Amino acid sequence: MKLNLSSVAATLSTLILASSLLAGSPSAKRAAESTAVVRGSDDDSRRIEGEKRFHSNCGRCHAAPQKFPPRMMGTVLRHMRVRATITDEDQRLILLYMTQ
Amino acid sequence: MRVKDNACNEFSGVLLLYPATKTASERRRRTVVCAATLVFLFQASFICAQTESSDKPIPILTGNFGAFSFVSGGHNLIDTQINPVLLVPLGDHWLIESRAEFEGQFQRPTDGGPYGGPVTKHVDYAQIDYIASPYLTVTAGRLLTPFGVFNERLYPVWIRFLQPDPLILPIRTAPSDGAMFRGGFPVNSGANLNYALYVSATSIGIGSVDSERHVGGRMGFFLAGPRVELGGSWQKSLQDDRKNAFGFHMSWQPAKLPLSLRSEYARAFEGSGYWVEGAYRLTQIPFWQKAMRHTEFVARGQQFFVGAVGADAEDGLGLPGANTREADFGMNYFLRDGMKGIFSYGRQFSSAGNFNQWSVGLAYRFLIPLGPSGAPREMR
Repeated sequence: MKLNLSSVAATLSTLILASSLLAGSPSAKRAAESTAVVRGSDDDSRRIEGEKRFHSNCGRCHAAPQKFPPRMMGTVLRHMRVRATITDEDQRLILLYMTQ
Repeated sequence: MRVKDNACNEFSGVLLLYPATKTASERRRRTVVCAATLVFLFQASFICAQTESSDKPIPILTGNFGAFSFVSGGHNLIDTQINPVLLVPLGDHWLIESRAEFEGQFQRPTDGGPYGGPVTKHVDYAQIDYIASPYLTVTAGRLLTPFGVFNERLYPVWIRFLQPDPLILPIRTAPSDGAMFRGGFPVNSGANLNYALYVSATSIGIGSVDSERHVGGRMGFFLAGPRVELGGSWQKSLQDDRKNAFGFHMSWQPAKLPLSLRSEYARAFEGSGYWVEGAYRLTQIPFWQKAMRHTEFVARGQQFFVGAVGADAEDGLGLPGANTREADFGMNYFLRDGMKGIFSYGRQFSSAGNFNQWSVGLAYRFLIPLGPSGAPREMR
């Protein structure tokens, strides 16, 4: 399997473009609609959903930490989004739960 | 829309600088630059509106500290380690992150005398992440290799159930130096998919004696209802004999029980094996609740089968030199948030000899803001 710069760049470009196009696809629209539904509900239901997402995602590896100020939790959640490959929507809801 | 127009102009401008007299390699390089520029500018138009938080993240220093005593076959090893993790967010889509390890391992010489031993230090990862879309993060630098899940998710001493490493941990988990695409997205209302694809230009192996190029990937499905994750990993070496390696992982947290189960299997040229572990938090015990809810019982069973590389090479990779079975039992007591006392007993069985393993110690996670963190929302 011979790799060169062009083939790697082409593959990476295709993946990035595919992810962009996916954002406009029907499944992405459904995801966006579900996000909108969550946003439309009140803060309590979003926090409850955030707690549920926390236990589903973060609880797979560790127990719930104490709550930190929002600016710290924002960094921690960005780190965990990368490390634990949680979804964009999960990140937002867990951040809400962990800061309020 | 304006960004798109600019992208077209810039792309056209690059094309105008594309003389036919250039060599094939230069043309190829320019094509790559053009493609990268186009992709970057295409992304910029819709990325701008993604983050809505008004609380801008600040840099933080987090990590963990551990002090342990491991007794294996009657030999005591004092292990102290600190693993600082630096996280620096930049703008709305970038993150620089790095973890280092400083570890001292002290033993008493066989002929007596005071404890002594090496203090090692190395960088586990130093990477820059770009959150390109809700479904994709691009990462470059020195990376934790996502082969299985223990290396990436469960390695920190404050997270792991049992402090001794699983026997198969060294299989294809040496840090990678290269780039990675990763992310997660909902497949439907009840399932998420997460993935990671990576290429390593060089990989420094165990003991910094090895270096290799490889590509690989990992994919996992998380089913929110039963709270089960199932996934698999693959890695192919791009040098020498170009061997493949495979792995599978599973985790399950039943909703009605404070129980967590995890398992991994790995198969590679250098060996194969599996581990299964579980932790049960005593939160449902009706008496002595103040103490019980801080207590967790853990257990792990594992097996390793030697590969075709020979006992010396296995030892060099950090793997057992003979087929090995091991069972461990332990207890963790959570003293406060991020701090736990640990105790475990295990016994290892192999043709090289059977022996007991004891461990006792303390693991602590810290988190320090490197800027004004502001007050929690409820205190404002």
